[in-house]
Amino acid sequence: MGDNEVVIQVKNLYKIYRVGDTGVRALNGVDFKIRRGEFCAIVGTSGSGKSTLLNMLAGLEPPTKGEVIIAGEHMETKKENELVAFRRDHIGFIFQSFNLMATMDAVENVALPLTFRGMDKKERDRRARSALKLVGLSKYMDHKPTQMSGGQQQRVGVARALVLDPEIIFADEPTGNLDSKTSEDVMRLMQTLVRKKKQTLIMVTHDNHLAEYADRVFHIKDGKIIKIEEKRASEEQEKEL
Amino acid sequence: MKPWDMLRLSVSNLLKRKLRTVLTVLGVVIGVASIVVMVSLGLGLSRSLTEEMESFGNMTCVTVTDLSTGGFYMGEESEKKDKEKKHLDDKAIAELSQLDNVEQVTPMLTTNVICLSGAYMCNADICGVPEGYLEEQGVELEKGTYPEQNGTPEVLYGNMVVPSMYNDKTESGYFWDGRMADVDVMKDPVMFVFDTDTYYNFKGNVPSDNGKVPAMPKKHLLPATGLIAGGPDEYTQHAYTIYTDLEDLKTLLKKEFKGKAIPGQPTTASGKPYKEIYYSRLMVYAASMDDVSDLQKEIRSMGYGAESDIEWIKQSQDQMKLVEVVLGGIGAVSLLVAAIGIANTMMMSIYERTKEIGIMKVLGCDMRNIQAMFLIEAGFIGLIGGVVGLILSYIISAVINVFGAGLMEGMGMGSEMTGISYIPFWLSAIALIFAILVGMIAGFFPSLRAMKLSPLAAIRNE
Ligand SMILES: Nc1ncnc2c1ncn2[C@@H]1O[C@H](COP(=O)(O)OP(=O)(O)O)[C@@H](O)[C@H]1O
Ligand SMILES: [Mg+2]
Repeated sequence: MGDNEVVIQVKNLYKIYRVGDTGVRALNGVDFKIRRGEFCAIVGTSGSGKSTLLNMLAGLEPPTKGEVIIAGEHMETKKENELVAFRRDHIGFIFQSFNLMATMDAVENVALPLTFRGMDKKERDRRARSALKLVGLSKYMDHKPTQMSGGQQQRVGVARALVLDPEIIFADEPTGNLDSKTSEDVMRLMQTLVRKKKQTLIMVTHDNHLAEYADRVFHIKDGKIIKIEEKRASEEQEKEL
Repeated sequence: MKPWDMLRLSVSNLLKRKLRTVLTVLGVVIGVASIVVMVSLGLGLSRSLTEEMESFGNMTCVTVTDLSTGGFYMGEESEKKDKEKKHLDDKAIAELSQLDNVEQVTPMLTTNVICLSGAYMCNADICGVPEGYLEEQGVELEKGTYPEQNGTPEVLYGNMVVPSMYNDKTESGYFWDGRMADVDVMKDPVMFVFDTDTYYNFKGNVPSDNGKVPAMPKKHLLPATGLIAGGPDEYTQHAYTIYTDLEDLKTLLKKEFKGKAIPGQPTTASGKPYKEIYYSRLMVYAASMDDVSDLQKEIRSMGYGAESDIEWIKQSQDQMKLVEVVLGGIGAVSLLVAAIGIANTMMMSIYERTKEIGIMKVLGCDMRNIQAMFLIEAGFIGLIGGVVGLILSYIISAVINVFGAGLMEGMGMGSEMTGISYIPFWLSAIALIFAILVGMIAGFFPSLRAMKLSPLAAIRNE
C-alpha cells in the first residue's frame, strides 16, 4: 500500500433530480481519482452540485448513473444497511452544523461512532479522550454542546470523525457556521491532523480562500468538474524557499 | 451496538421529554389497571361462587342411590330391569371402594321422622352416619358434641330444624310468622316418631285396612348431643338434617318395624321387606374434582343411581369464565386506547428526531439498532405503565374489598366472603407481559419508519 494507492474513484457519475416535469442535473458526468492521504477540496458556487457529489461518495444517496468505488468497493450497488456498515468501518463525517447530540457531553459525543461499533465503554472513552486532547479540548471533556462555542463544537465534530481512524473523512462546509478567524483555526487543525495520520480528507466549500489548505482543489460548476488545481507542489516549493 | 448502550440511549430519550412520557405512561397505567381490576372482579366472583358451592356439598362427592327405591335420579338407568339394580349394602361399599380414583365410601341411612317437643312439631330427616364422619367433613358445631355409637341413638340437630318447628294450635313458627319455636333442644325433651304413616292416620282418624283407627305409634325420647353452627336462614346441606350414629339407628329401626316394611327401604318383587336393612345412599368421594364426572358414569353403568353437583358446577364455572372474558374485554378497550397513545408518542418522537436519526445513520449506527432502540423505548413505556398500573390495581382491589365487604354484609350475603376482587400472581404476571407487548406492538410501525429515515436529514442545514 503505497502513498499512490487510489482510494476513491468516480466514473461517469450523474445525478438527476426530478422536479415537476423537468430533471435537474445536479451532477452531469463526473470522473476523478483520489489517492490515499490526499486532502482534496471541492469548490464551487452555491447550487453547483458539491453536496450532491459528497453525498454520493459517502453513500448517503444513490447516483442516477455511474460508478463510485471507495476502498475497492462499489457504493452504487450496496443496500442501505450495507452502506451504513461500510460507513461505520471506513468513513468519518464532519457536518456544517456540527450535529452533536445535545444531551451528551463531549466525550460521549466523540465516542458515539465507537458505541455504534459495539466497543465497551472504558475503551471508547479512553479513545474519545485522546481524540479530544488531539483537537485541543482537554478542558472541555464533560461539556455539553450548549456549553461550548461554535469553534469548540466543530473541534468535537472533528474529533468524532477522527476517533475511529477512518480511511476517508468527508466534510461538507465544515466551517460554514463559523467566523473567519475560527474557520482558519479549524482548517489548520484538520490539515495538520490528516497530514500527521496520512488520512484522506474530502472537503466541500464555496470559499476559494479556505480551499488553499487542500493539496488538490476540484472546481465544480453546473455538475461538472471544470478544473483540478495541484497545490501541494507549489506549497512545498514555498517551504524550500 | 451493545444492548446496554441501546437501553441507555432509549431511556435518556424518554427522560428528555418527561411530561410527554408521563402522559403516555398514564394511558398504559389506566389500561392495565382497568383490565386487571375487571378480571379480578370476575375471578373474585367465581371464587366466592366456588366457596358457596362447597357449602352446598362436597364437590368431589358422588351420591350413590338404590334405583329400585325410586332414588332421585330418573334417567335411562331407571328403566333397567330390577335384577340389575343393586341394593346398597356392605358388598356395594366394597365394590365401589375398589374403583379407580375413589378415596372413600361412606354409607348413610336416612328416614323420615316426626319430632315433637311440647306444643311444637316438625317433620325432618334423621340420618345415620358412621362415627367420626361429621367431624371429618368439617361440620361445625354451635354447641355440644358429635353423636357417638352407644346402643340407643343420640342426635345432633341441623341449624334449621328448630326454625322449621311449628305450633299446631297457635299456628306459629319461624317460617310461618317469624316467631321461633320455644324449644331448646339441648334441655327440652324431644320425642321422635319413626312410624310416620301410623302417626298421621292416628291424628287424622283414618281407619286402616282392618277398619280400626290405629293407636298412637311409639315415641322415642332421643337425647341431644349438640347443634350444628349457623343462623336460622343459613342453608347448607346439613341445615335440615338430624344426625345420629348409623349402627344405633339401624338397631332402632329393626326393633320399631319388626315384620313391617321400613319406609324408604327396598322390598322384594312381592312387596315383602328384606331381612337386612340397606343404606339409603353411599357417599363416594373421588380423588379430585376432575374424576367426578367419569366416576359418576362408571357407577351408573354398574346398576346404581349416581348423582353429583359436577354438571351444574361446570356449567356455572363456564358462565363465570364468560363473565371474566367480558369484563376483561371492557378493560382491554382502554388498553387499546393506551396503545394508540404509545404509537402516537413514538411517531411524534420520530418527527422530532428525524435529524438525530439521520446523524446516527451517517455515523454508522446499524438500522436494526435504531429500530431496536425505538422498540425498547415503546416497551419501556409499556413496562413502567404496567408496573404502576399493577400497583394501582392492588390499591383499587383493596379498596373494593374493604368497602364492598361492608356492602355485601349489609345485603345479607355471606360474612365470610374472601373478597370481591382477587388478583392472583398469574394475573399480575400476564398483565405485565401484556403491557410490554402492547408497547412494543404499538411501537413497531414507528420503529420501522425510524429505521427507514434518510441519512440526508442530517446534512440539511437549518
Ligand atoms: N433533493 C433534491 N431535489 C431536487 N433538487 C435538488 C435536491 N438536492 C439538490 N438539488 C439541486 O441540485 C443542485 C445541486 O445542489 P447541491 O449539491 O446541494 O449544491 P451545493 O453545491 O450548493 O451543495 C441544485 O440546483 C439543487 O437545487
Ligand atoms: Mg451544499
